[in-house]
Amino acid sequence: MTLWLVLFLMTAAAIFAVLWPLSRHGAVRRSGSDIAVYRDQLAEIERDLAAGLIGAAEAEAARVEVSRRLLAAAGTSGVHAQGVDRPRALWHRRVAALAALVLMPAGAAVLYLMLGSPFLAGAPFAGRQDVPFEQRSIESMVAQVESHLEKNPQDGRGWEVLAPVYMRLGRFEDAVKARRNAVRLLGATPAREADLGEALAAAANGIVTAEAKAAFDRALAGDRDNVKAQYFAGLAAEQDGRAADAARIWRTLLQTAPVNAGYRTLIEDSLARVDSGAAAPNPGADDIAAAESLSPKQRAEFVRGMVERLAARLKSDGSDAEAWLRLVRAYLVLGEAEQARSAARDARNAVAGDAEKIKRLDDGLRRLGIEG
Amino acid sequence: MIAEIGHYALVLALLLAFIQGVLPIAGVRLRDNALAGTGEPLAIAQFCFVALSFAALTACYVTSDFSVFNVFQNSHSAMPLLYKFTSVWGNHEGSMLLWVLILAFFGALVALFGGNLPAALRASVLGVQAWIAISFLLFVLLTSNPFVRLAPAPFEGRDLNPLLQDIGLALHPPFLYLGYVGFSIAFAFAVAALIEGRIDAAWARWVRPWTLAAWIFLTLGIALGSYWAYYELGWGGWWFWDPVENASFLPWLSGTALLHSAVVMEKREALKVWTILLAILTFSLSLVGTFLVRSGVLTSVHAFATDPARGVFILTILIVFIGGALALYAWRAPLLRQGGVFAPISREGALVFNNLFLTVACATVFIGTLYPLALEALTGDKISVGAPFFNATFIPLALPLLFAMPFGPLLAWKRGDLYGAAQRLIAAFAIAILVGAATAALTKGGAILAPFAIGLAVFVMAGALTDVVERAQLFRQPWPVAWRRLVGLPRSAFGTALAHFALGVTLIGIVCESYFTAERISTIRPGDTVAISGYEISFDGLVARQGPNYREVSGKLIVRRNGDVVGMLTPGKRTFPARGNSTSEAALLTRGFSQIYVSLGDPNPDGSAAMRIYHKPMVLLIWLGALLMAGGGLLSLSDRRLRVGAPKPAKKTALQPAQ
Amino acid sequence: MAMTRKQRRLILIGTGLGVLAIAALLVLTALKDSIVFFNSPTDIVEKHVKPGSRIRVGGLVQPGSIVRNNLDARFEITDGKTEIKVSYHGILPDLFREGQGVVAEGVLTDSRNFVADTVLAKHDENYMPKEVADALKKQGHWKDDYGKAPREGEARK
Repeated sequence: MTLWLVLFLMTAAAIFAVLWPLSRHGAVRRSGSDIAVYRDQLAEIERDLAAGLIGAAEAEAARVEVSRRLLAAAGTSGVHAQGVDRPRALWHRRVAALAALVLMPAGAAVLYLMLGSPFLAGAPFAGRQDVPFEQRSIESMVAQVESHLEKNPQDGRGWEVLAPVYMRLGRFEDAVKARRNAVRLLGATPAREADLGEALAAAANGIVTAEAKAAFDRALAGDRDNVKAQYFAGLAAEQDGRAADAARIWRTLLQTAPVNAGYRTLIEDSLARVDSGAAAPNPGADDIAAAESLSPKQRAEFVRGMVERLAARLKSDGSDAEAWLRLVRAYLVLGEAEQARSAARDARNAVAGDAEKIKRLDDGLRRLGIEG
Repeated sequence: MIAEIGHYALVLALLLAFIQGVLPIAGVRLRDNALAGTGEPLAIAQFCFVALSFAALTACYVTSDFSVFNVFQNSHSAMPLLYKFTSVWGNHEGSMLLWVLILAFFGALVALFGGNLPAALRASVLGVQAWIAISFLLFVLLTSNPFVRLAPAPFEGRDLNPLLQDIGLALHPPFLYLGYVGFSIAFAFAVAALIEGRIDAAWARWVRPWTLAAWIFLTLGIALGSYWAYYELGWGGWWFWDPVENASFLPWLSGTALLHSAVVMEKREALKVWTILLAILTFSLSLVGTFLVRSGVLTSVHAFATDPARGVFILTILIVFIGGALALYAWRAPLLRQGGVFAPISREGALVFNNLFLTVACATVFIGTLYPLALEALTGDKISVGAPFFNATFIPLALPLLFAMPFGPLLAWKRGDLYGAAQRLIAAFAIAILVGAATAALTKGGAILAPFAIGLAVFVMAGALTDVVERAQLFRQPWPVAWRRLVGLPRSAFGTALAHFALGVTLIGIVCESYFTAERISTIRPGDTVAISGYEISFDGLVARQGPNYREVSGKLIVRRNGDVVGMLTPGKRTFPARGNSTSEAALLTRGFSQIYVSLGDPNPDGSAAMRIYHKPMVLLIWLGALLMAGGGLLSLSDRRLRVGAPKPAKKTALQPAQ
Repeated sequence: MAMTRKQRRLILIGTGLGVLAIAALLVLTALKDSIVFFNSPTDIVEKHVKPGSRIRVGGLVQPGSIVRNNLDARFEITDGKTEIKVSYHGILPDLFREGQGVVAEGVLTDSRNFVADTVLAKHDENYMPKEVADALKKQGHWKDDYGKAPREGEARK
């Protein structure tokens, strides 16, 4: 309501600015004229002459010139100086007043209602600090903790609180940073190492990278029974193509797990996956069956063959962005960073025409740690 | 609510501008005093509403109201208060609002202090001024509205581009705009005069103070921008011939020409047609500059806006105003009467020489700035026209101008005596030769051109002094007489001499900076010492520090000369997490007019860091010269002759200020 | 030596034309000698740009390609299709990073190697050198979020 009152008063002031001068009937207003300028120029010539800045002959010539201008100006000044106040001129003012009274408020209202947001309250920063805790969005709380950490980057507890929130928001890179800081500032514990490894794996789109693996190993070295580290150690084995190892690790984990543990399902599902045999680069079931019966060395070659087949297929038809991501990930798992990068490049060229796919590809690649 | 008040105030200002664009000019046409008299209150009201709008936006920034999209994009709650103020115009929308504010400000100034103008001319000027205001208010409201709101409001803002979080930014754009936009008054005067069809010597007298005021601001604005680039960009350069810099330099060149040709017009009523054209061109170049910077057609340091809709809008404004004014000019200018005659060798002749070289130089800069755009539009080839082009074209044109400069003021009006002027400049010339020779001797083996350039600069400075000496007849009359004459000289004479002298000062700075700068770029380990131009600079190591909204790593360097510590330098590198980018903070140590300049590169893990170390002799003279130039302008502006012409009730004269 | 009005005018116009002619000459020679063409890595290979001429190369810094040794830096500029190896001596700009837009000015030593004396990086995360953006668009690697500030959450009531 206050807003409308203020806007009304502003409009009134604007109308007044038009009506007020219209009401001044022929009031005397300041007005200069060229005659005054030329008079002054003449005076200046005299001053310069008296000061010896110009010679007498020059002064005379200048005087003649200025006088000529003065005469010309005096001749026309009657025409140009002022208008006259004529009664019939009243209609001008009526039109002008009408414009001010009607057109201006109407125009202002229309334009403002088109452009403005009168129903939106202001939200100054200071006023929003007091918003009750429950009513704040996660983002705003994160922002607040972030700005706190910005000023106190040595606050390890803050990082530790923030990290799971990042994980939930899908900001895995930030989560990695936060976990690292927590480990650095609060000291390494098996739990923190495992959390760090989890964040690293999440940031790599679910791949247990060498770095993540190292973190889980450190966690297991400190605490052989750390559930998270064990689970991911199994996942690492699966992704390395050592399905039997993965199965063994997860079976052990299941045996030691409490009957009502929430993670049982996850591990059972994982176990079912390796037991039915799904290897890293997402091959067909037949391939897996074949792979089961091979020696580790043969298996590695087999996996390589699958990857090559996938690469060949994509070379002839490269429109499937997800397949490309799978290929890149497979190379990464095989530890062939250079191949992965070149596959990423080929992928970009292949889907170049399709903005949507480029975006999906770039997002995926970024998550795999290959910058776009 | 504050944002909405600001928004509505802007809308009202637009409607007031519409009325101001019609009523006063209609009043002049219809010879109706009351209608013609609406111009002044309307201009003042328009200014008040734009000012209210600007204040509202500032309030939103200061209180970090992120429900305003513009604030959200360019501010951060943790930003220091000063930068909350300056970030108001550190972005496209806000800076356009500032543009409009200054436009309205000048309109209000004409309304308040234009008492010496004939009422009809004042009314027409305000009317034309309102047309410009209409187009830019529409531009702001429709394409660059700073009051667009966000719902729900984000919790935190995105922070200001860190390059712009600097006191240089606080002052550079306002001054630049005061200059740019100030020329709109000269433009309005020209168009009003063309509409009225009457242009005479008095017109020049009236337009001169406004042009001069705009020129002073533009000079300061360019100097500030140059100094800001010098220490903030970390490359040690002070002028890059960057298109945005050129965009401010173009109106400066033609504005300088306008200042000089208006003198001829006032004194002799000659060059009328030319002066009017210059007034139109100068503001047109300001508009072109605004277009180049604001439409995003350029790639440069300043390009922080990219939006084709805006570009097309400004381009339309550009075409309408420049095209319209030039068409009016083509129609009306042939009607103007011939002015006074003069010989080629005369004060007028010298000023024509000045105008010729300034405008041609302006044209070469214009070509160099726009050629890449034109070529890309026509052939698709992408090129960059850099410093080599401008050095090869601008400098050869500037040299004759500088050399001729001391002669101009010594020539008489109508018909001058070149030989006599040369005789009076012999002392100045001798000093210049001596200083040039001394420079050559001191810098043996250095650049051959440098001593000549220094000599030229000294000639310009000594020539400016000669002008004053000659007018006062200092060494020819007995002291008391000469003193009286000196004191009796009009202030504008001192202003001219000071501004000309200042150009020499700037030139010395430029020459020394370009030819005698010493540079070391190397990786330095803590404990290392680098010697440069007689200074020993030792590196003490890196320190990390937490700023309000950034982290900073800075190096600590001790500067010694002959073993004595003369100062400490702490160049830094700041990282701004909100935007994820970083800036270099160069460290400067001033010794006299010279500076030691250090900027920090990437620190290495072993504690060493890459650094650029410069010794820049006399570099401060570049900007000191610009300050003095502005001072000369101010001195001229305070001359009473530029203010008379008004009826003089005693109490009114106090109200006639510097504008 | 009283001159007629006509003579004076002729002198004025003559001088004016003379200065203009000189200026035109200066501009033309300078344009021939001192302009620098911009190329993408693909342009260089496809157009067979001659080694030795001064050019600008723009593209993205190839991730993983940066090798620094004190002030000497080597990196690759790519437009997604072709890479050019760049060597540079000096301090790289603040925002020089892997995967970011960059423009290097210098001389081509052979068809794939470039010695830069100036390296320009973008100035903030919303800004991409225009030439680089165009070159990338041509190769189909343009991501729209380079060009403009994201506008999510923009809402009006």
